[in-house]
Amino acid sequence: MATLVGDVFFLRLATEALIFGGLALSVDLLLGRVGLLPLGQALFFGLGAYVSALVLKEWHASFWLSLAVSLLASALAGLVGGIIAIRSKGVYFALISFGLAQVISKVVFNTRELGASDGIIGVPGAVVVPGLDSTAPTGFFLVTLAVIFLIYLGLRYLMDTPFGRQLSAIRTNEDRVPFLGFDPWRYKLLAFVGAACIAGVSGALYPMLRGFVSPELMFFQVSGNAVINVIVGGAGTLIGPLYGSALLTGLRSVVGSFTAHHQIIIGLLFVVVVIMFPRGLIGYLTPLLQRRIEARRSRHHQGEQ
Amino acid sequence: MTEALEWLQFVLAPQMINGLSIGVAVVLMALGLTIIFGLLDVINMAHGEFYAIGAYLAVALLGLGLSFWWALALTPVLMAVLGYATERGLIQRVFHSKDRHTLTLLLTFGLAIVLEDVLKIIFGANPLRVETPITGGSELFGLFFPNYRLFVMTAGGLLIAAVWMLVFRTSLGAIVRAAAFDRHMSASLGVPVSRVYAATFAFGVALAGLAGVLLAPIYSVFPTMGRDFVLIAFSVVIIGGMGSIKGAVLSGLLLTQVQSISSLFISPVWNDPLLFGIMVMVLMWRPQGLFGKLGHA
Repeated sequence: MATLVGDVFFLRLATEALIFGGLALSVDLLLGRVGLLPLGQALFFGLGAYVSALVLKEWHASFWLSLAVSLLASALAGLVGGIIAIRSKGVYFALISFGLAQVISKVVFNTRELGASDGIIGVPGAVVVPGLDSTAPTGFFLVTLAVIFLIYLGLRYLMDTPFGRQLSAIRTNEDRVPFLGFDPWRYKLLAFVGAACIAGVSGALYPMLRGFVSPELMFFQVSGNAVINVIVGGAGTLIGPLYGSALLTGLRSVVGSFTAHHQIIIGLLFVVVVIMFPRGLIGYLTPLLQRRIEARRSRHHQGEQ
Repeated sequence: MTEALEWLQFVLAPQMINGLSIGVAVVLMALGLTIIFGLLDVINMAHGEFYAIGAYLAVALLGLGLSFWWALALTPVLMAVLGYATERGLIQRVFHSKDRHTLTLLLTFGLAIVLEDVLKIIFGANPLRVETPITGGSELFGLFFPNYRLFVMTAGGLLIAAVWMLVFRTSLGAIVRAAAFDRHMSASLGVPVSRVYAATFAFGVALAGLAGVLLAPIYSVFPTMGRDFVLIAFSVVIIGGMGSIKGAVLSGLLLTQVQSISSLFISPVWNDPLLFGIMVMVLMWRPQGLFGKLGHA
C-alpha cells in the first residue's frame, strides 16, 4: 500500500516535471533559438492553465476541447504580447516580457471572478478518451508524455526548416537578416506566438493534474524557474530543457522534503552552471558521453581517461 | 470650496509627502541599479537582496549594541566590501563574455536566490523590527509629519545630490565614466579598469544597502523584502532610461507620487498593475526609456 502511494506521488511528480518541461521548451525556443530572454513566460503558462480550468469547470469539456481553447487563447495573447514585446531587444525584451507578466498576474490576483488569490479549485478531471481521464495517474502521465514529446518533435522538425534557420540567423546577427531579404520582425513574432502556444498548452495540462489553478502560476517565480531549467539543462538544445526540468523538479521536491532551504542548492547549482557550463549540464555531458562511447567502440582509444 | 481645500491639505498633501519619503529611497535603489547598468552594462537582479542585506546589517549592528547612526555609517562600508567581493568573485567571471547582458542577468538572478535563502537561514523567516531612531513629529504647513520621514527625505535628497556630483563633477567620476566608455583606451592611460569596475559595482551595492537601512525603521525587515522593492526600482530605471541618473531620479519621484496619489482613488492593490502598465506603455512608445540612449542592449 505504501509503495502504491509512493508510486502515485512520483508519477504525479514526473507528470508535473513534464508539464514544466513544456514551459521550458517554450523558453528555449525564444532564448536558445532566437536569443530573446523571456522573463515572463509564466504569463502564457498561467493563461493556459486558467482557460483550461474554466473550460473544464464551466463546460465539463473534454481534454481536447480545453486544450484547443487554451491553445487559441494563448495564441491570441501571444500575438498581442508579441507585438508589444518584440519591438525591444536584449535586456529591454527581458524586462518588458517580465512587466507584461507582472501586470496580468496582478490583475488575475485581484479579480474576484477568477477566485482572486485563491485561484480556481475543484477543477474536474478531463476525459481524454472514453475510459481514460486525467485523474488516472499512469494514464495521464502517458498522455502528458505524448503531448510534450510531440511538441519536442515538432520543434526539432521546425528547426531544420527554413523558418528555423531564419531564427538562428536572427540570433547570430539580426542586423544582417534584412539584407538577405527577410523581415526579422515577422519571424520573431511567429516564434513568440509559437512559444506562447507551447507554454499555454503545457499550462492547460496543469489543472488536469492538480485540480486547481492559482495566480502563483503566473508569478515571476515560475518564469524564473523555467529559465533556470533551460540554463541548467542547456539553452538551445531542446532536449536539455526537458532534462533540466526533470532534474530540478525532482531536486525541488526531494531536497524540499528534507529542508526548507532547498532554494539555496538550486541557486548555487544555477550560478555554477552559468559560470562554468555555458552550454548547460546536458550540453556539457552529451559530447563527453559521446566521446566515451566512441572511445569504447574503437580499439585504438581503449585507455580513455 | 473649503471642502476641496481641506481635501488638498489633509488628504492629498500628507499622501504626497509620505510618497516622497518612499520615493527618495526608491531613487537610491534605482541609482545603484542604473549606475551599475550605465557604467558596467550589468543588470543586477540581486539588487533587492543587497537592499535586504543592508536592512539586516542594521538589525545586526543594533543587536551588537551600536546606535542607529553607527549602523547607518557602517552599513554602506560593509556593503561596499560585499559588493566588491561579488564583482571580483562572480560578475568578473562572465563579464568579458559576448552575452554579457544575459549572463550577468542570469548570474545575479541565481545570486539573489542564494542570498535570500542565506538571510532566511541566519535571521529566520519572520519579520523583525527596527526602532525608529528619531521619534516625534513636526508641524509643517499646518500638518503633522513623523520626524523620521522628514529625516529620510532630507538625507536621501542630499545623498542623491552627492551621487550626482560624484559621477559628473569629480575626477574620480570622470575616470569611472572613461573606463566605462572605452575600456582599452582607459587601460592604456593607466586606469586600473577592472578595479574601477569592481569599485563601481561596490558603490551601487552600497547605495542599495543604504536604502535598506534608511527604510528599516519605516517597514519591518524580512528576507523577501527586496523582491517587491526591486521590481519598483527596475521599472523606475526602465522608465527613466537604463543608465540615466537624471531619468532614475525624475521617474523615481514621479512613479512613487503616481502610486501614492492613485492609492487615494483606487485600491492600493492595483498599484503594481498600474506601475508596470505605465512601464510597458513607456517602453512601447520609447523603447529606450525617457532619458535613455539606444545603443546599450
